[in-house]
Amino acid sequence: MDYRDTAQEAAFRAELRAWFGQNIPPGWRDVIEDPAGRTEFRKQWHRTLHKAGYVAMSWPVEYGGRGLSPIFDAILGEETARADAPPLPGNVNFLGRAMWTHGTEEQKKRFLPMLLTGDAVWCQGFSEPEAGSDIAGLRTRAVLEGDEWVVNGQKMWTSGAHAADWCLLLVRTDPDKPKHKGISCLLTPMNVPGIEARPIYLANGEPETSEVFFDNVRIPRENMLGHRGGGWSIAMTTLAYERGPGDTGFVPKYQATLRRLEELAAERGRLADPAVRPALATAYIKGEALRLTVLEQLSLRVSGQLAGEEGSIAKLLWADAEQSIQHLAIELLGPDVWLGRAPQRLSAYLSSRPVSVYGGSSQIQKNILAQRVLRMPRA
Amino acid sequence: MLALLTDEQRMLRDVVRGAAAEMGLSSADLAGADRGRGWAELSAIGVPGLRLRGATGAPAASGVEVMIAAEELGSRLVPLPYLGAAILPVELLALAGAPARVVGPLADGSTRASVLLSADLGTFAARPDEGGFGWDCADAGFALGLVPAAAGWTLARYGVTEVEPLEAADLTRTVAGIAVGERLEEYPLDQDGVDRWLALALTAASADIVGAMRGALAGAVDYSKDRVQFGVPVGSFQAVQHMCAEALVRVEGAASTVKYAAWGVDELAVPEALLAARTGKAYASAAARDVLETVMQVYGGIGQTWEHLAHVYLRRAMLSAQVLGDERHQLAEISHARLGGR
Ligand SMILES: Cc1cc2nc3c(=O)[nH]c(=O)nc-3n(C[C@H](O)[C@H](O)[C@H](O)COP(=O)(O)OP(=O)(O)OC[C@H]3O[C@@H](n4cnc5c(N)ncnc54)[C@H](O)[C@@H]3O)c2cc1C
Repeated sequence: MDYRDTAQEAAFRAELRAWFGQNIPPGWRDVIEDPAGRTEFRKQWHRTLHKAGYVAMSWPVEYGGRGLSPIFDAILGEETARADAPPLPGNVNFLGRAMWTHGTEEQKKRFLPMLLTGDAVWCQGFSEPEAGSDIAGLRTRAVLEGDEWVVNGQKMWTSGAHAADWCLLLVRTDPDKPKHKGISCLLTPMNVPGIEARPIYLANGEPETSEVFFDNVRIPRENMLGHRGGGWSIAMTTLAYERGPGDTGFVPKYQATLRRLEELAAERGRLADPAVRPALATAYIKGEALRLTVLEQLSLRVSGQLAGEEGSIAKLLWADAEQSIQHLAIELLGPDVWLGRAPQRLSAYLSSRPVSVYGGSSQIQKNILAQRVLRMPRA
Repeated sequence: MLALLTDEQRMLRDVVRGAAAEMGLSSADLAGADRGRGWAELSAIGVPGLRLRGATGAPAASGVEVMIAAEELGSRLVPLPYLGAAILPVELLALAGAPARVVGPLADGSTRASVLLSADLGTFAARPDEGGFGWDCADAGFALGLVPAAAGWTLARYGVTEVEPLEAADLTRTVAGIAVGERLEEYPLDQDGVDRWLALALTAASADIVGAMRGALAGAVDYSKDRVQFGVPVGSFQAVQHMCAEALVRVEGAASTVKYAAWGVDELAVPEALLAARTGKAYASAAARDVLETVMQVYGGIGQTWEHLAHVYLRRAMLSAQVLGDERHQLAEISHARLGGR
């Protein structure tokens, strides 16, 4: 055990600081404020990071990664936040893992490079109107006709679908089999006829996610990831990695938010307020509990263990940390938040609410912990 | 001692409930809602005039009736300015003994007015001659400001020269900066009168919050009975049941404190009435965020969307929580009342 950087990690950190010092596009926040410019900017930033060698630090070398331990991804995340750089591409790591774990040689050659370079943006089509917590209840049908899968149905909450080039799509291929066994996964291009993505506006008024309709969409047979009926285990790997905030870069973002709140408290002359001081300190310790839990889980992965059910602990710590820091933010600002004088704060607060819903709701995470980690009996 | 509504009060509740069901928001008409819809009907029921003084000087209805109306209309998110632009200015004018010529048109719904508040809505505007801010002030035809006087206060009535709506969180009510002209009239008002008004205003805002919580929770509970996952209604999961039960406890806790405050508006001595009103406001404001967040959670993803009413309830309740002092402010006042010092 040693919580300090190794020599190699320290060197990497120093290299990153120097690089960020030179390469952060000025005024990037304003650019991504505007939904029209956002997608292109993100792609461009992804390419820039990739050229510099800062995407997929922990992927195996044969798939274009740097073969480093996941600790390097964590350092990248920390330094991104420290430098106030644009966010890292969100889903690359867990999608990559799904592909190299389940894909054929040909699929890996075809899809992994474009995932790495940022030339293809992906979305994740799991949930449906009738299949949320119970994803295995999904109904979008795929029927094999000759060499093509013909897809019909509707996905919901497919975040980023309107801007995506590809979708990791779960479909029902075998309705006669037990529900978990009849699901398959299709690597679906979003630009083919019959796909329509419509934005879903969230409580803050932003089109942050989408619903997607499939009307006789034809997907080549070779685009099936893994085997027919193997979609469920792919979904589970993806979700396990998505749940770990280490993979989504949440920890450094949280720390940056806390620093901004500390500044805000100072600006508003609230640093001596006996209610504010312990609240800011509590936000700090929640961040530490989250950071150190994630570090432990990453360390387990360094030692070769796969992400498992304990990811639910990190997901719950994350939801609590994010939701309580947003509570603190709106308390610090008081009436300004509600009277339209701090629109970004209201928006950030409202955006913290679905953290306990997406990637598996908090209730579902607790079920997982109780039933599969604590092995408590089911009702 | 008996903390129950009378038969007449229950009748009023049913009438307002029926009207609210007609004129409340549903998700679909949010954008294009006709905010004037139902004003005539509300006026016919007598909602704007609940606090009009009769020949004996007694109000047409007590604080309890105001609470009933505010709860029922709040529970359906009725986007009409019956509180800020009618009941509250009527009460203030009545306490100051303003003539029927001024109060009558407000009470019968033909005119609207606004009380001038500070920029954070937490108290009265400090210099009302220069204008102030109005809550729930759509189409206010005149404004009322409180100016310090040698003995107590002067209630000044102004014409409204300009209204600049804020982009406040509440999508169902107007909050605006209000510019005023010359004083039209002045009426003397003592501190007790101001405090009585505060007790009613705080109670009305709290009842609005209680109504919003009730309406939202009822919707979430209904949804949990219909929404099937894993082959059963999500409402059958104990996790969901406990979330809703916990929310119910908070709603009922709030409702009881607000009911006592509503009775106290007319029945308690001023300091006690104000303490009861602040208690209800503090409790309801704190409960509002927790309960409405729970409601969003019970709905899952759909409860996070713009089209869904869950956030509309949250926004409205949180705005009402700011009116005449948020939870923090009320707690400070309550500790002052009970412990002394500042
Ligand atoms: C902003 C946002 C982005 C999203 N992005 C994506 C995406 O990119 N791709 C994708 O596929 N999906 C995405 N989702 C979907 C998300 O994963 C689902 O919303 C989530 O799984 C919950 O499903 P639901 O909304 O249908 O709620 P429901 O499953 O209907 O849940 C309703 C309520 O019941 C509770 N509940 C359900 N089952 C149980 C149980 N067994 N025990 C206890 N309580 C239970 C839930 O916790 C919740 O409180 C996103 C959702 C949101 C809100």
